[in-house]
Amino acid sequence: MRYLLLKKENFNDFISALAQIEKVVAPVAAGYKNFSFREVKSGKEISVKYIPTILPPKKYFMPQKEKLIEFNKAESLFDAVLEYEKMIIFGVHTCDLAGIQCLDMVFSDKPKDANYLGRKNKLIIIGLECNDYCDEYASCKVVDNHIPNGGYDLFFTELNDSFIVHVNTGLGEEIVEKTRLLVPAEQKHLNELEDVRARKREIFKDEVNVKHAELAGLFDKAFDSKVWDDLDKRCVACGNCTNVCPTCYCFDILDNINLDFNTGDRTRGWDSCQTEPFAKVAGGENFRKTRGARQRHRYFRKFKYPVERYSRYFCTGCGRCTRTCMAKISLKETINALAAEQKK
Amino acid sequence: MKPKVAFFDFTCCEGCQLQMANFGETLLEILKLVDVVTFREVMSERSEDYDIAIIEGSITTEHDVERIKKIREKAKVVIAYGSCATIGGINGMKNKFPLDEIKEYVYKDGAKYFPTILTRPVHQVVKVDYFINCCPVYPPEIVKVLKAALQGIPYEAPDYAVCVECKLNENVCMYDKGITCLGPVTKAGCNSWCINNGNICYGCRGMVSNPAKTGQMDILEKYKIPLDWVVNKVDMYNKPRELEEEKPKK
Amino acid sequence: MKTAKLTDSEYLIKTGKILRTKQMTKQEKYFEIALAGGENLNHEPGQFVMVSVPGVGEAPISVSSSPTKKGSFELVIRKAGKLTGVLHNLEASDTVGIRGPFGKGFPTQILEGNDLIFVAGGLGIVPLRSLINFVIDNRRDFGEVHILLGCKTPQDMLFGDEVEGWSKRTDVNFSCTVDRADPDWKGNIGLITSLIPGVTLDPARTFGVVVGPPIMYKFVIIELLKKNIPERQILVSLERNMKCGVGKCGHCQIQNYYCCKDGPVFTYEQIKYKKEAI
Repeated sequence: MRYLLLKKENFNDFISALAQIEKVVAPVAAGYKNFSFREVKSGKEISVKYIPTILPPKKYFMPQKEKLIEFNKAESLFDAVLEYEKMIIFGVHTCDLAGIQCLDMVFSDKPKDANYLGRKNKLIIIGLECNDYCDEYASCKVVDNHIPNGGYDLFFTELNDSFIVHVNTGLGEEIVEKTRLLVPAEQKHLNELEDVRARKREIFKDEVNVKHAELAGLFDKAFDSKVWDDLDKRCVACGNCTNVCPTCYCFDILDNINLDFNTGDRTRGWDSCQTEPFAKVAGGENFRKTRGARQRHRYFRKFKYPVERYSRYFCTGCGRCTRTCMAKISLKETINALAAEQKK
Repeated sequence: MKPKVAFFDFTCCEGCQLQMANFGETLLEILKLVDVVTFREVMSERSEDYDIAIIEGSITTEHDVERIKKIREKAKVVIAYGSCATIGGINGMKNKFPLDEIKEYVYKDGAKYFPTILTRPVHQVVKVDYFINCCPVYPPEIVKVLKAALQGIPYEAPDYAVCVECKLNENVCMYDKGITCLGPVTKAGCNSWCINNGNICYGCRGMVSNPAKTGQMDILEKYKIPLDWVVNKVDMYNKPRELEEEKPKK
Repeated sequence: MKTAKLTDSEYLIKTGKILRTKQMTKQEKYFEIALAGGENLNHEPGQFVMVSVPGVGEAPISVSSSPTKKGSFELVIRKAGKLTGVLHNLEASDTVGIRGPFGKGFPTQILEGNDLIFVAGGLGIVPLRSLINFVIDNRRDFGEVHILLGCKTPQDMLFGDEVEGWSKRTDVNFSCTVDRADPDWKGNIGLITSLIPGVTLDPARTFGVVVGPPIMYKFVIIELLKKNIPERQILVSLERNMKCGVGKCGHCQIQNYYCCKDGPVFTYEQIKYKKEAI
């Protein structure tokens, strides 16, 4: 638990040094104001100032598709497998750190998920502070994720001519030792960090007309709201909001058999509660038939159900769902609409 | 005994059969499992004795109707292969015009020699057991459907939008680029093949079973996209879906 | 990308060998299955297993036999989709993949010493049978037992011989009804709800156990409430789409509950205000 300093002039060398240790992934510009976590070899490829990537770093913890089982029917062999890759994830914003913490809770909940936890062990997380709002879609303050709250090995905050680096874990210490570019921070740097935070407290205000502690209560009375009827008319069930969400973890399980009709695998892949078939049973009954009911389910899975199970909001305030929605369904507007309705 | 497979083409460009011919090593693996007895594009032998009929092309003449019915009678399994066969495809654009008018336009003085009917996908004429979508067919789906057919189990293409797969591939949304794309209304299953390669979705897999009408209109309004423009785009592949009610029960 | 083997994965499957099958109706087929090495399933009545055919898929299936039956367990599978279609083609000595048992079953320890009214509609008899037979095998541990069965036609009645056995017992009050009868039918005709008013029971010490199609729950529960059975003494078992069986994949979620982990057995008190439940 100590603070170190990386001079900006050494940033590229630091990333190159990281790339010598393991594969490094970091936010990279993808065009049209989109960013994406991708493998980088040097610091020049990284967008240090970026808005949340199309997909959150969740994709490294819980890949879009992963093998669970490999089988050989003739030999009655069924192996449970973990596919993994050692990696350093650089530049994770506080919202996405919160997202990973949420996933940690879900997959550590009994019965533990050996695939998620096994893979997570192989990943080193380097956080990066947002000194200002990403854009108007972010709502990280109201869910209290605008300030770092653990979940990283190292954490970078940009100062004037350097990054101040919080070393949070033993793995973080190892990176410091191997890269040999971080120097002890002086008091003036700690003061600068305090200034950054003070300025943030000025800039970051509750983005909706509801206080942090009142959000869950808002949803206590929201199940029969007319707001969902409105979303029913607007949503096109494309699934974008859930696929880009750092805390959506629903999945489907599918079998694949090879052309020998003997060997194959069972994989799981991201699934979306917004799609038509998600809650349908084999007999044909669909327990969330309307797009409005499915949108409601999504919101309740962020603001109510996880609060009951894990005492935590599963909305990280990253703003991805609003940014990606073609129908312009806005998380902030939905919450404000619910609040307005309940004030009446 | 390996099942005998026959390829047939109706109204189409035969590009989907070319996909099969170009399949490379996977084709060799498939040939270990089936005997191809008829495939005009790659072999001169032909046989009237087959188990699985793979149909490329849409049904656009009375002669096509008779021919597909005969194939259905002989085949144990019928697979509609490619957009023309599964949803009518490009040929369906004909259905936007009076048949006589379009015939005159294409064949001028020779029009009387080319009797024509409304374009229909195969399942609107005879029962189809499996569908391999896309224009041209998407190779991984060919393999999935053949596996299902050989195991005698149904193949279920996902009934949600191409956007779902596109997002998982982390493509930049075409709408962010200011380009209209049919991903939101088109059935997934192609792993957003076109968008991964920089193109838009043209809707060649057909529409999801329950497209959101009001929501889609909202989007058009917001992105200032004229409705008839999108209708034209959808109709490029999907016009024959209007005839869906007329399809035979058996 | 590297691959490692996992020994603690929830997705590992055990091999289940089919000992016996029986086509019960056109749609339903019975399977008796033994785990490799004679291992007991060790389930509670009301729990389910994930049954799979590698390369085809996996689906949740209620265990129909009582845990008092050792060495093997029984399933009844309705042909409804791809996997169940393949399962229907399997016969004795074929194998299937088994995970589980999963979920919260019927709380047998709480039920002990109390009176029970079982209400099963259609396929509901399949999971409920695991508890009915458990109760019959431990008959002295329970008070009065009422069994009410309902199905579409007499031909749809599952476990006919066994049901007849229940009906002949002197320590069980049995009645059943069909929607449509044939000339040979001697029992009641009508909805299962019509059987409830005629039952004499002591509500304070009676548990209602209801399993059936979604439409049935509301109406049966109304009748049981009219009998003054407390909400927490009415038990239901719910059906949902399930992929993982361990409370993660989200498919079976009923508001804050995961049906696979927090259920499939719930008290009416638990789900009364859960609008997506019944």
